[in-house]
Amino acid sequence: MRFEEELVELLPRLRRFARGLARDASDADDLCQAAIERALKSQEQWQQGTRLDSWMYRITRNLWIDDRRAAGRRGIHTPIDEAVTQVAGDGAAEVEAGALRGDVDGAMARLPDEQREVVMLVLVEGYAYREAADILEVPIGTVTSRLARGRETLMHLLGEAA
Amino acid sequence: MSFDPATVAAFVDGELDDLTARRIEREATSDPALAAEIARHRALKAQLTAHYAPVIDEAVPERLRALLTTPDKVDASLAGRREAKRMRFAPVHWGAIAASLALGLALGLKPWMPPASVTEANGAMIAAGPLAEALDTQLASNQSTDAAVRIGLSFEDKAGRYCRSFESQSLNGIGCRDDGGWHLERTMQGQAGTDYRQASSGELAAAAAAMMTGDPLDAAAERQARDKGWAPR
Repeated sequence: MRFEEELVELLPRLRRFARGLARDASDADDLCQAAIERALKSQEQWQQGTRLDSWMYRITRNLWIDDRRAAGRRGIHTPIDEAVTQVAGDGAAEVEAGALRGDVDGAMARLPDEQREVVMLVLVEGYAYREAADILEVPIGTVTSRLARGRETLMHLLGEAA
Repeated sequence: MSFDPATVAAFVDGELDDLTARRIEREATSDPALAAEIARHRALKAQLTAHYAPVIDEAVPERLRALLTTPDKVDASLAGRREAKRMRFAPVHWGAIAASLALGLALGLKPWMPPASVTEANGAMIAAGPLAEALDTQLASNQSTDAAVRIGLSFEDKAGRYCRSFESQSLNGIGCRDDGGWHLERTMQGQAGTDYRQASSGELAAAAAAMMTGDPLDAAAERQARDKGWAPR
């Protein structure tokens, strides 16, 4: 199958992943667009026979991280980011359990970026730990520890018997 | 509960070997705490999956689809077109390919050399010999991996001519067919002795994208055009 055709088939899943990362629907599609343009431009770097989906997820995720860092350097902090620093990780325990019951977007927004991307890849996109580690280019142990922390925070915020 | 949280999570994520997974399953039937922990993880996963599932069923916005489907399938994005325009290609002049010639492009000046791949007519470069042969007859969809000339894309340019991109040992480029033969509209050094092969394929594709009207020919259209001698439609 042609490269472009495979990418078209991948688009619905890629949009879902981007939505989880960027949260806002049009931001997510902007991210997808940038990723597609990048992929077309660097098509030669993709090795035939390797998984196109992993490659695309990696491009998408790296663009998102670049964008987040650039925004951070420009001093742009959304209220969400402040919330992250307040409640993410250990601080999350200070928020009442189940405070965001039913509000998946709100709970995901409170995860640090590196936990949110792992949660998306493993729990939503269904990647194996090994595959997620390859996409993120981190050791597998990093994936499992970030996933564990992200999970605990989400379960706490969403209410355990969600 | 004799399983640590990471193991329970790995169980729910399908990351455990069969043996351990079966042990957890069995133990969960008699260990309410373990069963509750598993249920808690499954509930979270189900909630997240359900939350993001509708995105899959949304229509993909046209602006995304268009990048990959219309009108040119080869790097047709605006960025790609700009890229192609900035390309170091220029209309072909003899001097411009002196380097390629020096690399061993056979000119047919010496009878013991292989047949020429390029000749000149009224100041234009025309494919000859094996290159012309390949452009005339070889199908991209059906060429051996060790063919001396590899055909890339076939397409129609804005003047309605059929054009084909090609790669060979000494010369890569795009030839467009008219009555006088295959005019080499774009040329660049072939892959001999360079490690730029991938880069040049990308540049050729981008240059082709900038030249073509409509989509590149698919296998059937390519065969049909060949069988009609590449006469403009």
